[in-house]
Amino acid sequence: MTAEESLIVKLLTAAWLLPLLGFAVEVFGGYWQKSRKSKAAALMAVACIGCGFVASASALCLGIEWSALLGEGTKHDVMEPISGTFYLLGEFGPLVLSLDYYIDSLTLLMFTMVTLIATCIHVFALGYMSDELTDDHVDHEVHLSDGGHFHRPGRFYRFFSFMSLFCFSMLGLVLAGNIFQVFVFWELVGICSYLLIGFYVERKSASTAANKAFIVNRVGDFGFIIGLMVIWTSFGTFRFFDHEIDTKPVPGLFTMISRVEAEDAHHDEKHKSSAEHEKDEEHPEGEEHPEGEEHHNGEEKAEESHPAGEHATAEHHAHTMQLDVDDARSVVFLHKDNKGTRIADPVTETEKSIPYWLLIVAGVGVFAGCIGKSAQFPLQTWLPDAMEGPTPVSALVHSATMVAAGVYLAGRFYPMFAPEVLLVIAYIGCITLFVAATIAIVATDIKRVLAYSTISQLGYMMLGIGVGGWAAGLFHLITHAFFKSLMFLASGSVIVGCHHEQEMPKMGGLWRKMPVTAFTMLVGVIAICGLAIPFSIFGAKIAFSGYHSKDAIVASSLAFMNANQIHFLLFFVPLVTAGITAFYMFRLWFYTFAGTPRDKKVYDHARESPLVMTIPLIVLSFFAIFVAVGGEVGPLYGLLQGSEPVHVDGGAVSVATEGATAITMPSRHAIHDVHGQAGWYALIAAVSGAVFAYLLYGIRVIDPADIKRNFSGVHTFLVEKWRFDDLYEVMFIKPVHVIARWCTGFDRGYIDGLLHWLSRKTVDVSNWDRKFDENVIDGLVNWIGKVVYKSGRSLRHLQTGLIRQYVMFIALGVLALFVLLFVMFPA
Amino acid sequence: MDSTTLLSLIIFTPTVGALFLWAFDRKAEESMRYCALVFTTITFVLTLFLLGEFDRDDPGIQPVLVQVNESDATEYERLEAYHVATEGEVLDGVKLTAGQIVSDGKAYDESQIQRGVVHRWIGQWNINYTLGYDGISVPLVLLTSFVSLLSLLAAWNIKKHVRGFLILFLLLESGMLGVFLSLDFFLFYVFWEVMLLPMYFLIGIWGGPRKEYAAIKFFLYTLVGSVLMLIAMLMVYYDSGQSFDLQYLARVGQGLEDGLSFSPTVQMAAFILLFIGFAIKVPIFPFHTWLPDAHVEAPTPISMILAGVLLKMGGYGILRIAFPLCPEGAAAAAWWLALIGAVSIIYGAFAAMAQTDFKRLVAYSSVSHMGYVLLGIAVWKINEDTGATIGSEYWLMGMNGAMFQMLAHGVSSAGMFFMVGVIYDRVHHRDLNQFGGLMGLMPFYSGLAVGIFFAGLGLPGLCGFIGEVFVVLSTWNFSKPLAIVAAAGVILTAGYILWAIQRVFLGPEYKGPHKEDITPMNGREASIAVVLLVFAIVLGVYPESMFGLMRGSMKLLVDSLEIAMR
Amino acid sequence: MDIGLNHYLVVGAVLFVCGIICMATKRNAIGILMGVELVLNGANINFVAFSRYTALGLDGQIVSLFVIVLAAAEAAVALAIALNFYNNHLTIDVDRGDELAG
Repeated sequence: MTAEESLIVKLLTAAWLLPLLGFAVEVFGGYWQKSRKSKAAALMAVACIGCGFVASASALCLGIEWSALLGEGTKHDVMEPISGTFYLLGEFGPLVLSLDYYIDSLTLLMFTMVTLIATCIHVFALGYMSDELTDDHVDHEVHLSDGGHFHRPGRFYRFFSFMSLFCFSMLGLVLAGNIFQVFVFWELVGICSYLLIGFYVERKSASTAANKAFIVNRVGDFGFIIGLMVIWTSFGTFRFFDHEIDTKPVPGLFTMISRVEAEDAHHDEKHKSSAEHEKDEEHPEGEEHPEGEEHHNGEEKAEESHPAGEHATAEHHAHTMQLDVDDARSVVFLHKDNKGTRIADPVTETEKSIPYWLLIVAGVGVFAGCIGKSAQFPLQTWLPDAMEGPTPVSALVHSATMVAAGVYLAGRFYPMFAPEVLLVIAYIGCITLFVAATIAIVATDIKRVLAYSTISQLGYMMLGIGVGGWAAGLFHLITHAFFKSLMFLASGSVIVGCHHEQEMPKMGGLWRKMPVTAFTMLVGVIAICGLAIPFSIFGAKIAFSGYHSKDAIVASSLAFMNANQIHFLLFFVPLVTAGITAFYMFRLWFYTFAGTPRDKKVYDHARESPLVMTIPLIVLSFFAIFVAVGGEVGPLYGLLQGSEPVHVDGGAVSVATEGATAITMPSRHAIHDVHGQAGWYALIAAVSGAVFAYLLYGIRVIDPADIKRNFSGVHTFLVEKWRFDDLYEVMFIKPVHVIARWCTGFDRGYIDGLLHWLSRKTVDVSNWDRKFDENVIDGLVNWIGKVVYKSGRSLRHLQTGLIRQYVMFIALGVLALFVLLFVMFPA
Repeated sequence: MDSTTLLSLIIFTPTVGALFLWAFDRKAEESMRYCALVFTTITFVLTLFLLGEFDRDDPGIQPVLVQVNESDATEYERLEAYHVATEGEVLDGVKLTAGQIVSDGKAYDESQIQRGVVHRWIGQWNINYTLGYDGISVPLVLLTSFVSLLSLLAAWNIKKHVRGFLILFLLLESGMLGVFLSLDFFLFYVFWEVMLLPMYFLIGIWGGPRKEYAAIKFFLYTLVGSVLMLIAMLMVYYDSGQSFDLQYLARVGQGLEDGLSFSPTVQMAAFILLFIGFAIKVPIFPFHTWLPDAHVEAPTPISMILAGVLLKMGGYGILRIAFPLCPEGAAAAAWWLALIGAVSIIYGAFAAMAQTDFKRLVAYSSVSHMGYVLLGIAVWKINEDTGATIGSEYWLMGMNGAMFQMLAHGVSSAGMFFMVGVIYDRVHHRDLNQFGGLMGLMPFYSGLAVGIFFAGLGLPGLCGFIGEVFVVLSTWNFSKPLAIVAAAGVILTAGYILWAIQRVFLGPEYKGPHKEDITPMNGREASIAVVLLVFAIVLGVYPESMFGLMRGSMKLLVDSLEIAMR
Repeated sequence: MDIGLNHYLVVGAVLFVCGIICMATKRNAIGILMGVELVLNGANINFVAFSRYTALGLDGQIVSLFVIVLAAAEAAVALAIALNFYNNHLTIDVDRGDELAG
């Protein structure tokens, strides 16, 4: 490891551990401080995360090959991954569990993004949480049994200590060098969200929401654990990277599962046809791309037909790849290195492999964890309830931490996902983005609209990853983090400004009262909708970050649809939803900031937030505009591509070649071809959604209440969030309680019942035993005693007390003895 | 210090303390408590000495003794510095075989070496006073003296018959330490029974309203287990040419002694008897119903001991006796063991969810958590045809995980019971539906309690996580359905613990009686809770601290059992 | 006529029988005491006679001396009892002393 690399490791470790230190100091210092009016804990938290940001940013600057990043072509030279081990957790023969680190450009980028956004949110929270800076805080939402409100000391310090712990957990997750460690921090992130969502512990709704968040996440984690078990048993390691155990080289997960070039003739034909298809219909200028030529070379070579078992060497850098399966496509062989050398098991002398279905189980299992954490369908229900937490928490949860963790893991673990798993991911994302967007249309709580938009956007990210747009999905993760944290903080500013009023129907016209908030929010809204001016000026489109990233996702799904016609929904649903997104986001903005005030009391008391809250807004809006500058040729995208799994580049194919399970992942080249086209589609959808919103809520051409009346059934269904909560209540929660009661009943009724029955029978037996003792055995003994006594009584009459009589007896006795003597012994 | 002295001191220091207490005036309660505290502290320090003596590079039983002179097989002296030779090691040009002991430039065969201290006790029946320790017992001995010390501190507010309580408590500690240190089956059995009686009285006299019922239930359950163990003990005694020496019996059971072995029938029968005997103690479904009653009725410190140490004796017995003595029986029963382990996990969790008594909930969580112990021990996958173990490293991991889970549960459940006890001392009820708002009334207590409950929940960074996850990860290799069942436990565990936390600590106001008595924890209570939480964190963050102690012995156990089955 | 062993034995037997009859018939304690003396003396005669006519040597004489001493001692004790009895009952009629009757 070079000095530079070890410096990067040290910087990131410091950035990771500083919040933990902060947490420890804050939570104890805060508890023992005399007054609750001190800001020391918050400043400490800000300092920790701020230093973390500085460290991460410097690590980013140090770690990147800027020439490779800013140059043309593929970006795989941007950074060599750095990996290593902190310390061992346990070691069992060849099985090693440890805390590791794995640093590539994605890690660095995530670190910088998380720390930057967290710093902004911390600063914002200094203002937002300032009403906790008191020794007697009154919680107006809690009603006591005596009718009063709840009084408690302020918990400013506690909020910031939890925030620090949250950042620590998230950074640990990003830094993790093995999937087990990801799971460790995954859980810690979960518990931090529990603590923060349930920050107002006195509110029943808050503690219930916190429980729900954690338990729903645990449902996902159940799948995650199954995935872990499969990986652990089949691969024998959790580490991503190649390493050594006892100086023996051990390949990491990504190496073991590295792809080989697709060599199936049938496949190539299919691919060729689809490639021609693209060429004919959508991409007439395909010949311009040299990659296209190489592609044909590859096909021709494949047509020479390799003998089975021989692996093509990677002569071309953009080949269609697939998993190294056997002829029956039932097992996947594990590799020793990236060149496709298989691992031979020394004991059985067979090549080490994993059943194909188990690989799918592992992938779906790990993704189930992502479903929970990133609030994907069907586990999305916890996220809206999580709005019970203070708004800065929502901002953090919804942008940089927690929900980002799921997408990050899906991206990080991408090489382990078989094409079938990716398809699952894509469909889950697709369903999620649509369901959440429809609910967002009818939500009236400003934070809930944002919550559903988060779910929807997370669906986009998952979709992007699922359809082979690896970088697109993560690109959207980064841009979304900025504009979503911006919007949450802006909504927090609105909420504080309106004295904790969250219902949009009571707002309106607020832009006059709080211009900074209104316009930074507008920046966020435009960014999330993906509005742009579709003309190039100075070679780049004028567009906010959201346009670029969403555009990339839509392009990926379009290319995917082109390659797999059967999955057309994966393109049309997100496209329609892009319009819906624009509609509900502009609805939110118009509802809140434009028009006339609907509630005079709220409007009169509204005021702009202090500088400590607006400056983070301005900083974040700057990033929301410019972070993705340059789009797919910009530096951010390049950074992501630096960590892209090798087989994304040239696309990949599933091992099944025909039928519904045949899947072709589009190559970057294929995606690039349809980019312009997809951009137009997305833009049209977004603009029409925005215009529709303007008509309804901006100038009120149509009264939304009429629509609501006409579609009251649909409206209710959407307001009730597609009735998922009711469904789960009936399907899971109630049965669990019933089974729980059964178990207790079984204990009491059957096991204890059996015991009690046994003990009663034992008592019965001993009663009988007692009777036997008392009557038979004791009776016998007593009878003997009685007889002896009786005979004694009757004999005592011989005792007369008269001496003369006794002398007579003696004399007679002697005489009798003599007589006897003579009779018996006559001689 | 001489090994015999050290080991005997560890076991009998509490007994001596109990005798001392006899001399005290009945009314001098405070000084009696201090006296007992001094003796438990001495015991704890002695166990730390034992930890210092323990050589973690030697997986076998320690101390290692060598014959004083070649001809006399009665006098041994301790080898101070030695190491176990590895295969291919050369000493003075002579190639050594693996397992030979090298000390001071001399190599000794196993026959010249005696592991553990042996003193004749009842000669005509070949019963010896054999003591020793290895990586399996040392962590448990440490746990015992540690939890005893903390429980004694927790017992400070026992007001009724203080002297009797302390005497019984110290006797109990002697019994527990004796169980973990004795290597003679008979001696083991004696200590096993010695620990039973004080426990009976401690529950039966100092317990809650239904104490008689609970005490008798506990006693009868455990006695049934003891009797089964006694039968098995006599079986192996007569089948091994009349020996109670556990090391020797294990060699016989594993077929390492010429001309002697237990037949498969004996192995199977003895294993089942031993297993039920120990399973009652663990406790495993369906032998668990004594536990909730005993816990609910027992006073707080006794609950701590019960959950923290007594349950571990079952797991220890399975590891030390049932498996090594009857490998064939164990291998044949492995699947069933794993099944009931998994059922215990789920069943305990479900039952915990339905409880309204706080202590009962914690008791059922013990059932659930101890299920992981059995599951981890039982994941021994064998190729039916060859007898070879499949994926032995996963079994090794499961064993280690099970052992770690015992230690972790010793810390976390003792902590949970203590925390319940603290609030019970104040409000004199345990109805979950009549709590609430403690976070506001007792913030420091609530913070610590939530931390300890999270340890029980299996949160990473706290001790419960490592054991559970390691066991679950090792289970997939053994049986996929069981692994899935065991993994489902994480959801239920989160469910019942979070729900309990919500009902007790969160919410705006306290709903039950005696609100005026809710006062912050005093220094004694706080220090106990803090120590437990700190240990929960240390074990969770740096599990290698314990794995390092037990690794060698666990590996030796797994390897020898594997060889025995081949 | 030679005086032989048998004659002595007859005298002894007569004394013995007289003594027995005396004990069995007298109600006076002193009388009974005298009967006892007769019995003892009958026995003494037998001892001495056997000592004289058989190979016992002086053993018989010695035993009879013992018996005489014993009789004296016995008489003393018996007379003391009789006196006490008289003190309590103002009579020495042994039939009155039936307190040991069952």
